[in-house]
Amino acid sequence: MRALRASVALVAAAAVVLTSGCSPSASGGDSGKVVLTLGSWRTEDLAMWQDEILPAFEKTHPNIDVKFSPTNTNEYNAAIQSQVDGGTGPDLITCRPYDVNRSWIKKGYFEKLDGKPMLDAFDKLALDPWAGDDGSPYCLPTAAVLAGFFYNKDIFTELNLKVPTTQDEFLSVLRAIKDNGKYAPLALGSAESWQLAYNGLYSIGPAYWKGEDGRQGLIKGTKKVTDPDFVAAFEAFDAWKPYLPKGSESLKYADMTQLFALGKAAILPDGSWDINQVAVGNLNVGVFGPPAATAGGERYVQEMPDMAIGISAASKHKAEAETFLAWTATPEFLSLYVNKLPGFFSMGKEPVTYTNTLAQEFADLKQGAKLTPRLGLDRLSAGTPPFDDEVWRVLQLMYTKDLSAQDATAELQKGLSAWYEPQK
Amino acid sequence: MKASSERAGTLVVHALLIVFAVLAIAPILLIVVNSFKTTPAIFEHPFALPTADTFSAAGYERVFQRGHFVDNYRNSLVVTVGSTVATLVLATLAAFALTEYKVRFAPLVGGFFVAGIMLPIRLGTVPILKTMISWGLMDTLTALVLVYTAMSLPLAVALLMTYFRSVPHDLKEAARIDGAGELRTLSIVLPLVRPGLAAVASVTMLPIWNDLWFPLILAPSQENQTVTLGVQQFVGQFLNDYPALLGALTLGAVPLVVLFVVFSRQFIQGLSQGIGK
Amino acid sequence: MRRAHYRYFLAFTLPALAVYVLFAALPLLNSMYYSLFDTDGEVARFVGLDNYHYLFTNPTTSERFWNALVNNLEFFAIHLLVEVPVGLLLAALLTSGRLRRSTGLYRTLLFIPTTLSVVIVGFIWRLVINPLWGLVDYPLLGNENTALPTISLMSVWQYVGIPMIFLYAALLAVPNDVLEAARVEGAGGWTTFWRIKFPLIAPQFGLIAILTYIWTFNGFDLVFALNGSAPGPNYSTDILGTLFYRTFFGSSGQLADLDLGATVASVIFLIILVITGAYFGLLHRRLRSYEL
Repeated sequence: MRALRASVALVAAAAVVLTSGCSPSASGGDSGKVVLTLGSWRTEDLAMWQDEILPAFEKTHPNIDVKFSPTNTNEYNAAIQSQVDGGTGPDLITCRPYDVNRSWIKKGYFEKLDGKPMLDAFDKLALDPWAGDDGSPYCLPTAAVLAGFFYNKDIFTELNLKVPTTQDEFLSVLRAIKDNGKYAPLALGSAESWQLAYNGLYSIGPAYWKGEDGRQGLIKGTKKVTDPDFVAAFEAFDAWKPYLPKGSESLKYADMTQLFALGKAAILPDGSWDINQVAVGNLNVGVFGPPAATAGGERYVQEMPDMAIGISAASKHKAEAETFLAWTATPEFLSLYVNKLPGFFSMGKEPVTYTNTLAQEFADLKQGAKLTPRLGLDRLSAGTPPFDDEVWRVLQLMYTKDLSAQDATAELQKGLSAWYEPQK
Repeated sequence: MKASSERAGTLVVHALLIVFAVLAIAPILLIVVNSFKTTPAIFEHPFALPTADTFSAAGYERVFQRGHFVDNYRNSLVVTVGSTVATLVLATLAAFALTEYKVRFAPLVGGFFVAGIMLPIRLGTVPILKTMISWGLMDTLTALVLVYTAMSLPLAVALLMTYFRSVPHDLKEAARIDGAGELRTLSIVLPLVRPGLAAVASVTMLPIWNDLWFPLILAPSQENQTVTLGVQQFVGQFLNDYPALLGALTLGAVPLVVLFVVFSRQFIQGLSQGIGK
Repeated sequence: MRRAHYRYFLAFTLPALAVYVLFAALPLLNSMYYSLFDTDGEVARFVGLDNYHYLFTNPTTSERFWNALVNNLEFFAIHLLVEVPVGLLLAALLTSGRLRRSTGLYRTLLFIPTTLSVVIVGFIWRLVINPLWGLVDYPLLGNENTALPTISLMSVWQYVGIPMIFLYAALLAVPNDVLEAARVEGAGGWTTFWRIKFPLIAPQFGLIAILTYIWTFNGFDLVFALNGSAPGPNYSTDILGTLFYRTFFGSSGQLADLDLGATVASVIFLIILVITGAYFGLLHRRLRSYEL
């Protein structure tokens, strides 16, 4: 009997010790300072927030202490969902665009932002990617990214090449580099399929499916992926295949960037966010936009709403969180942010100047071009199979297993018709 | 004749082990060597040693500037050692009871324990988080120790049961006849299962040290960050700063290797004292 | 004495049970329970086995499930067929009696990969087999047929230390007098190993096989570190662990689905339980018959 009693007492004592001894350190109890946490998937921005942005905010708001606490992008959604569902999580949540955010809104993760003055800094279009089904905004836009092509100016000069403006010119430039044989024409690998979609198809495709016309058409069900415009876009993507570097099937995004940064490849299809990784050393880098489908044709540029910030419904310091969020709508924050983080672009109404030349070159691509976000993330990925995942998969198959544009689009349409009402 | 074939055999054994040891270690050295090089050198000549031109310890400088390795090491040590010790103690008691006492529901309890090995523990994240909040354990190392102990117990109990079964009955009976209590009897047979304890400790320790998920969910703040979580942040932060990334990876791996080297001596002593002789 | 047995049993198992139930078993059961509900609306609605029905009848989810299961079997088979024999070879070499002080050094070196985190393992091998910078020209990870065996072998490289250490411990436990007797009778190292040591450590293989089964069917980390949560090409490296993660937590292109994720986890649980249960059942019966 003694043994059992001792054991029970031990377990009970352990429980008491655990619960009493380790009460969590009361958050910012001293000096009345409120501590806010800002969750993000951009671990690479930690230094920038800590050294540049947050000090600027805290200078004018001495009673609020903001902590930037990033999670690796692969784990971000899982971590935020578990934390918020469990009853914790950051006070300020960085919002993914479109379908993921809609599901988070539905689960009640965010405070509503309706009628807040900070919204005035943005167009309705800019707020849309983070609006709920009722059209109310829940997150305040931070930045958009653009897709385009980095090119090595020295290689272009050496081989006497001109920046291409149409798909035909683009292909003849690739052919010229390949024939020369000294450099890889395209730094592009298919091991990470997301970038085949985001930096490849979704960048050159809008010229064929006519940007928003095609995208909204798919969403409304008036167009199909098997329509000639879409098939032509997939064919344009397929036309790059002969120009891929050696072993491209298992090259990762980081390998491609290195191949270009080491001066071994002429062109890198990429997103604006990669500016700092690409422009290293004395590499002479330029930027050009996606080619038009035909000579004199309309130009399209993929402008992707990337990041916004929302206030967690579970936050204990909503007033302070709102103060911070409102600050992110000011020109002070926006110009600080986009210039410390070249390749990210303000979504506000106020024009912002970019001190980084490549960033400015990217921003210039927008002039005279029609803008459209990535094709697959709005509405079309909220069911099974998710359209965006399927696009990644079939694009990879086009490069690794010779899947044709016809078959790829047919497969996508089949997947979409299986669950998406307007496409049934 | 006999002696020379004997020597040839010894040579073959050494040769084979050297081949395998090189296979095991060379790829790791690759990381360490490259962490002392510049980024272009890493990719252009990954298998070359650093030369005067390509040598650079700047990666480590950046890592030390931004990192909190002393704190991270301490947290990981506390969590790993704490959970491993707790697992060993609790599992030893339970496994002894499960094999020793002929109680009708013992197989049920044993099965209940073993079932725990078969589920991905991440499935239980949200309920675990809720429990920790209600116990006031959120963002503490204690929360990690509890979860890791709970998660390691099933395998530890299952393994230790197999070791306890191999202990001769007579020994325990002799102890009991001498008037030893049950706890004393357990301590008498304990040396016999020392290799088992060592094996359990090593399989328990590794996943705990290297786990990323629960530190992220249960103890994410700077003060409680473990090495793996700290390193993971560097991996993102220095996405393309390869020297710093490799430096951080190297620094993150060293303690567990040291821990194992120190610990494996214990392990071997246990082996030779236990059954070998 | 019987009453006393009950009391000791409870006293000794209670601490472990308390921790295990509170921080593992209950949370897991709590989540598994959602596989019987539809959690999409405001309140969870009981739907019986509908989620299971959906998992196996929806063309996409069922295709992904069977694909992951088959991949997982391959992942397991490669571990069993490569990791265990190599582990045995290493353990046999270490205990061959031909090494003196170097045993410890070899053992430590061979075990070091096991201590590494998957982040490092992934990085190392991606560099070594990279067609641009590495030693292998062929894009092993980019081909549907070679990607999974390649990742499996990386995992074998990392974890071969575990069967090695288990078998090493078992081999050391072979009584010296038995070996001495064999030597007196003139048996060589080879004969001694296969005739005497091997039969004595044979029971260990069952345990190692079942542990390998459990670990590989709960495998996740390395595949996730290398290929993310929708592991390609064309889901050829998708295993049950990544399928569960993707379903339960969502991925960049897929929304999280708590109840379907719980359903996947429950099915994985059953797959592991059936085999493991059969193993322990057999073991139990055999032990019983020994005792009689």
